[in-house]
Amino acid sequence: MHRIEVDAEYDVLSLNKRLAKENREFLSKHGVIAINVMGAIGSGKTLLIEKTIEALKDEVKIGAILGDVIAKDDYERVARHGVKAEPLNTGKECHLDAHLVHHVIEKFGDVDVLFIENVGNLICPVDFDLGENYRVVMVSVTEGDDVVKKHPEIFRLADVIIINKIALAEAVEANVDKMVNDAKSLNPKAKIIKMDLKKNIGFEEWLEWLRCALRSRGE
Amino acid sequence: MHELSYAQALLDEVLRLAEENDAKKIIRIHLKIGELLLINPEQLKFCFSAISKGTIAEDAELVIEFIKPKIICTECGREFDEVIGICDCGGIVSIEGGKDFLLKKIEMEVE
Repeated sequence: MHRIEVDAEYDVLSLNKRLAKENREFLSKHGVIAINVMGAIGSGKTLLIEKTIEALKDEVKIGAILGDVIAKDDYERVARHGVKAEPLNTGKECHLDAHLVHHVIEKFGDVDVLFIENVGNLICPVDFDLGENYRVVMVSVTEGDDVVKKHPEIFRLADVIIINKIALAEAVEANVDKMVNDAKSLNPKAKIIKMDLKKNIGFEEWLEWLRCALRSRGE
Repeated sequence: MHELSYAQALLDEVLRLAEENDAKKIIRIHLKIGELLLINPEQLKFCFSAISKGTIAEDAELVIEFIKPKIICTECGREFDEVIGICDCGGIVSIEGGKDFLLKKIEMEVE
């Protein structure tokens, strides 16, 4: 027996990168905009998708992939609105990856916008590119006004940052401006929206951003 | 625990290279990991040791070298150690690298 050293130069993330690229190519070929909706548990991700479907269903064709560890509750909520939807159960995993999305993406070649709701979590999904065009990160004031500062990486890589439930800020003693400033200082290029979905605050601003993203499709 | 996904991808490649070289045992695995990749090295080691049980990579040591990202103001050129979006001068800060996960080298025993 003797010992040898073998040089590898292997990218451990290469499989996810390859499948994300294939997903992106599929979406681009069919003119679909995919939005990875990320955020904490209970921050309002599913409700954002539901309300967006209701607001835009006469304007654009929407599809949705709903990621969850187990259970299909989010899928059932979204499918009720009459759009094409697919549940994705990750089993033991705390995030979606490009491989899981790859299994179902071909069903969505005929939509304009594909929402991919990630597992509720501000850490694990960050480094797994799904092949999306945009990342939307949603948090709510009830998670504490230091939640942005405590999770810099997910906010740094976001295209849109939504701070939801602002109507509850006073009750939970959260400083919304601090959250906005933390987000701005981490990611000056992101669109930041102060929102309260249940009170319809900031929702028009979100729809405006989405319409703008749709108009710039393929540019 | 997303470290399990990483550990599995790593183990697959390690065992593939081991077979290619007719290895009997894997001693040490050298990795380079970007500091901005959200990975907990202790959890990675734990996951790797759990899934490598019963393979020739069981008991292999993971040696991790961390790689710093380049965080630099696009206006004044000031460099930072921590992630920041805007420099004191008002310039946008660019962040490059720090997201890699590379298997660099494997030490193995062969006949």
